[in-house]
Amino acid sequence: MIPAIGLLVGIVFGLLLHPTVPVWLQPYLPIAVVAALDAVFGAFRSVLDGIFNDRIFVISFLSNVLVAAVIVFLGDQLGVGSQMSTGVVVVLSMRIFANVAAIRRHLLKA
Amino acid sequence: MGLHSAPRPVRTSAEARFRLKRSLSPRMSGTQTMITVIFILIGFMTTAAISGNRSDSILSNARQSDLVSLLDDLAQREARLQAENSRLETARETLLGGDQYAALNEAKRRASELAKLAGSEAASGPGMTVTITGNLSASTLLDAIQELRDAGATAIQISDRNLAVRVIANTWFADSASGVTISGTALEVPIVIKVLGDSTVMEPALKIPGGLADTVGSGGGNVTIAPMENLAISAIVPLPKS
Repeated sequence: MIPAIGLLVGIVFGLLLHPTVPVWLQPYLPIAVVAALDAVFGAFRSVLDGIFNDRIFVISFLSNVLVAAVIVFLGDQLGVGSQMSTGVVVVLSMRIFANVAAIRRHLLKA
Repeated sequence: MGLHSAPRPVRTSAEARFRLKRSLSPRMSGTQTMITVIFILIGFMTTAAISGNRSDSILSNARQSDLVSLLDDLAQREARLQAENSRLETARETLLGGDQYAALNEAKRRASELAKLAGSEAASGPGMTVTITGNLSASTLLDAIQELRDAGATAIQISDRNLAVRVIANTWFADSASGVTISGTALEVPIVIKVLGDSTVMEPALKIPGGLADTVGSGGGNVTIAPMENLAISAIVPLPKS
């Protein structure tokens, strides 16, 4: 409950403050957002599975964001940055879909 | 990333709902706070990414050729404005210098410039003549005049064998049986447009796809364009008595 309010608070802050993203961060932020979404859906699924562990959630969130950023950074250095970010987004989207499917089976039995 | 790598059996939906309800009940503990902070961060990150993406999306989605032409346009505009700026600066310098003749000359120059635009004075200079044969509608002619003005025409005169009309700001065009009527004067084709300005700019303006040459040509007519070193425009419009 409180985290959901926290999400709203974060969105309101973002809308009110109109943060300017630093140029060096611009390629990584969208990837980080998708990675964070993946961690959140994974956590939601594990709550329904009854195996949610807050320590694992925090660590998976941080490592997801970090690894995604590192992969894209590495791709940038190798000259295949845009392909690499496409690949990361595809993989993370697939995981999000799989997690949402599990959540759906739990809640809707379908 | 190993949150749930091993496949698990699907438990009953009632059990899952119960866990969801339990997790929704507000509790305040260290880890809850940590998770809340992470969610605030996610919300902030998401809006930041979205707003950062939106601000210059027009330019970032444009193709390279569009960007190049956009840049060219801006550079040309800057050069034009720079030139005008320096001209005005010199005019200001001479006026401030107290030279009365310079002030008078500047005023005369402006008066004659405005008189050319208003059509109350004969004008001459480099330009071109455009001869149009065949069917010509008033709207086609009006489009051509607009194109010429956009291309930097300073003075325009339209004539047939006998009559000539100076084109000014409030000139009007209408279709008539044997040609076009311009501000009440009926002209018969073939029609000759005399126009002062840079012919290297104005000629392509008439030859663009869908332009004058295209429209008249598809109607079976013909457009002949001849650049002139020194062209005289003699038709004048009397100044209205105010």
